[in-house]
Amino acid sequence: MTKVEDFAAYTPTWCPGCGDWGIGAAIKASFAQLGLDPSSLAIIFGIGCSGNMNDFLNAYAIHSLHGRALPNAIGAKLANHKMPVVAIVGDGDCYGEGGNHFLHACRGNHDITVIVHDNGVYGLTTGQVAPTALKGAKSKSTPSGIIETSVFPLTLALTQGATFVAQSFAGDMKHMVEMIKLGVSHKGFSLVNILQPCVTFNKVNTYQYYLERSYKLPENYDKSDYKLALSTAVEMNYEKYPLGILFQEEKPPYHEQVINYHKESSLIERAPFSNIDLLIKEFV
Amino acid sequence: MKDFLWKIGGEAGYGIMTTGLTFSRIATRLGYHIFDYIEYPSLIRGGHNAFEVLVSEQEVRALQNEINFLICLNKDTYDFHKARLTSSSVVVYDDEDFKPDGDHKSAMVPFTKILKEAHGESIMKNTIAFGASLALLDGDISMLFDILEQQFGRKGAEIVELNKNFAQKGYDHIRENYKDLIQPYLKKREDKEKAVLTGNDAFALAAIAADCRLYSSYPMTPSSSILSTLAAWQKDTGIVVRHAEDEISVINTALGASFMGTRAAVGTSGGGFALMVESLSFAGVAEMPIVVFLSQRPGPATGMPTWTEQGDLLFAVHAGHGEFPKIVLAPGDADEMIELTLKAFNLADIYQTPVIVMSDMWLSESHKSVATETIKSLVKANKIERGKTITAPKGEVYLRYKLESDGISERLIPGAKGFFYQANSYEHFEDGHSAEDAVARRQQVDKRNQKTSTYLAAHFQKPKVYGDPKTAKKVFVSWGSMKGPILEAMEDLKKEGIETALIHFTHMFPLDRARLQDLFSQSKDYVLVENNSHAQFGRLLRQETGIDLQKTLLKYDGRPFWKEEIYNFVKSNV
Repeated sequence: MTKVEDFAAYTPTWCPGCGDWGIGAAIKASFAQLGLDPSSLAIIFGIGCSGNMNDFLNAYAIHSLHGRALPNAIGAKLANHKMPVVAIVGDGDCYGEGGNHFLHACRGNHDITVIVHDNGVYGLTTGQVAPTALKGAKSKSTPSGIIETSVFPLTLALTQGATFVAQSFAGDMKHMVEMIKLGVSHKGFSLVNILQPCVTFNKVNTYQYYLERSYKLPENYDKSDYKLALSTAVEMNYEKYPLGILFQEEKPPYHEQVINYHKESSLIERAPFSNIDLLIKEFV
Repeated sequence: MKDFLWKIGGEAGYGIMTTGLTFSRIATRLGYHIFDYIEYPSLIRGGHNAFEVLVSEQEVRALQNEINFLICLNKDTYDFHKARLTSSSVVVYDDEDFKPDGDHKSAMVPFTKILKEAHGESIMKNTIAFGASLALLDGDISMLFDILEQQFGRKGAEIVELNKNFAQKGYDHIRENYKDLIQPYLKKREDKEKAVLTGNDAFALAAIAADCRLYSSYPMTPSSSILSTLAAWQKDTGIVVRHAEDEISVINTALGASFMGTRAAVGTSGGGFALMVESLSFAGVAEMPIVVFLSQRPGPATGMPTWTEQGDLLFAVHAGHGEFPKIVLAPGDADEMIELTLKAFNLADIYQTPVIVMSDMWLSESHKSVATETIKSLVKANKIERGKTITAPKGEVYLRYKLESDGISERLIPGAKGFFYQANSYEHFEDGHSAEDAVARRQQVDKRNQKTSTYLAAHFQKPKVYGDPKTAKKVFVSWGSMKGPILEAMEDLKKEGIETALIHFTHMFPLDRARLQDLFSQSKDYVLVENNSHAQFGRLLRQETGIDLQKTLLKYDGRPFWKEEIYNFVKSNV
C-alpha cells in the first residue's frame, strides 16, 4: 500500500493560506488512495504557482513551459499508454497561454487528467488578471478593470468534446480527492477545475466568496445528460459555482484509435520495424 | 547518349506534378538517372505549374538551363520558358492554344481535338502529352500503360482503358507525323535498380529506419509531404503520426513522447520552426532528445511558400533563448539526407539535445534517382545508438542531471520501479529539482556546454572536399543543397580545362575551429556560394572560426542555382 508521504518532496513554498496547499495535499492523497506510487505515473507540470508543485511532489515528471503541459502530456500518453498521465496546471497557463492546446486536447479525448488551479490571477508574476477573472476585475495589468468577459472552463471543455468535466473547491479536501480519483480513473480526457482562492492577489474570489456561491450537485444529478451539463456549466456566467462531475461519457480515447494500438504493448515496448525494403519498393 | 531535359507545363490542377513524377519513374525504370524540379504557385487551381526532368546515363544532381523537350499544355508554358530553348529543342503544342514562333523544332499535337473525339476530360490532356513525349524519345509505351493501371486501377477498367487510349493516340500521332523528330533518348539500358526520391522521401525513409516512433507535424510547404508519407506508413511500420493544432503543440507532443523514451521527430518550415523555438530551448535545458526537420523556403513571414532559399541557417543555429547545445546538419542531396537523418537520431539520443536537419524546397521536393542498394547499405551500416539511455539505474540513487566529464548524464526511461525524477525546464540541481543556487547553475551550464566539446571530438565531420583545392583555380565553399549545381558546374568547367574544387559543409553547427583552419589558406581564391542574400554561412564561418571569405555568389530570387550560373561566374572571373 502506498502512503501519501511517498509522494512528498520539498516543503511547499506557497503563501500561507493559499488554496494550493489543499490541492497539493488532495493530489497526493488521491494518488495514494488509487494505489499509485511515484514510479507508476507521469505528471506534467505547467508554469506558475501550481506548476511549482514539481518540487513538492514525487513522480516521473516534466516541469514544462508555461502553457505547454498538455501537448507534453499527449505525447507522453501516446508513447506509453500504460502510465496514467496527469497535467497539473494553472488557469492562466491552461486557458490563456495554452488555450489552443486545451480545446484540442478536449477534442482528441486524449486520456489525460488535467487538474487546473483556477484562482483568477497570475500569482507567480504578482497579480495580473487571468482569463478566468470576472469581467471588471482590477489588477496590476487591468487597473480600470478587465474589459473581456471570463473564459468559462467547464462550458469550454463541454463544447469541445471533453468526456469528463468536473469542478471542485480548494477548501473541500474530501471533495477534491473524490474528483481527482474519478478523473484519473476515467478513460479519456478529464478536466478537474479547482476553484482556488489566491489569498495574496485576489481579494474578490475568497474562501468566503466560494462558500457562499458554490453548491454540490445533488445526488440525483444525471451526469450523462449533456444538455443538463451545459446549462449547469452556464451558471458560472452568473457567479454560481456547481461542484461535482457535470458530465461524463464513455468514448474511446485517442490512443486507442491510433491505427497500431496494442493494448498489451505500448509504443516504447514494441520491436523496431525492420522491413525497410518494403518501403523502398514504393519509390522504384 | 547526351543528357536531355524534358519539361511539361500547364495550368495548376491539371495533373502536371503526377505526370512529371511518372516521367521520372519511367526514365529511371528504363535504366537512366534523373533529377527533377517542380515549379508551382501557392494555389490549388489556376496559375502555372511546371515540372522538368533532367535525364542522364550518369548520376545527376541538378538541372541544366537548356530545355530539349518542352511540352506545352497551354500558351503560358511556352511564353514563360521559351528563353531556355535552342534551335535543336522540340516544342510540343496544340495549334488550338497557340502557335510557337521561335527558332526551334515543333510538333503539333491536337490535344483538344483528340479529347473531344474520344470524350475525354481536359485533365487527360497530360496523358496524350505523355504518349507524345514517349514517342519523341523512342521510349516503350507499355511502361506508361503499367503505371496508368496502377494509378487508375481503383477507378475501374473503363478509366484505365480511356487513359491508355489517349496515351496511345499521342504516341501514334508523333510516330505518324513527326518521324524525323524521333531520337532514341529513352532506349532501355541496363543499370542498377534505382528509387526515385525527394529529400523529404529520404528523410521519411531514414526516420523509419532509425526507429523513430512518433512524428508530429503541422502542414507547411515544403515539409508537408513527410507528414503524409509517414501518416500513410503508420499501419505498415507502427509509427504514430500526430497532426497537431499548431507547431507549438507539435514539438511539445514529440518532447512528451521523447521523455517517455521513444525516438520522436517533428518537421516544418521557417514559420512553423519560429513557433517551435521556445520549446527547442526547453529540450536543451531539460536534455530531451528531439530531431527537427527544417525545410527552408523564402521568408520573411509567409514569403514565397512554394519556392526555394537557404535563408534560415543562422536562425536555426541561434534558435532558442538562453545558451544550450544544439547540432545542425545540412544534407546536400537525397543520399546524404538518408545518411545524416540516421545520424541525427543517434546524435539526439547520445547528446540528449535538439538536432536540426536542414533542407529547402529544392532538396525537399526535387526527385533524384538513388540506387536501391545504396539506400539499403546506408541503412544497414547504421547502428542505432541510444547513448546513455537506460531502463534501470545501477545504484540506489539516480541523478538525472549528474555531473559527468563528457557532459552527458544517464537518461532513465520513466517506469523503472523505485525511481522517479523530473525533466525540468527550470535550471536544476543534479537530481532535477529547480535550482537558483549559483554553484549548481554554473555546474549545469558547464555540463551542457561540455556536450559541444564532446560532440566536436566524437561526431563532428569536416566538410567533404570535391576536386583538388591545391591545384584548383577556384574553390567553392558551400553547404547543403548547393552541392548538386556546384558539382555539375565543376564537371562542365573541367571539360573546358578549368579546374575547380568544392568544400561542401554538412555538419553546420557547432564548427570545429581547429580542424577547419587547414582547409583554408591565404593564397586560394574561395567563392562562397549560397542560395540567400546575407551569405549566412559566410557569417557563421567567420563567427565560429575567424575564417573570413570575401567573394560571394549569391542567389535569392526564390529559384535554385542553375549550373550555368556558377559556370558563367567562373568563366568571367578567371
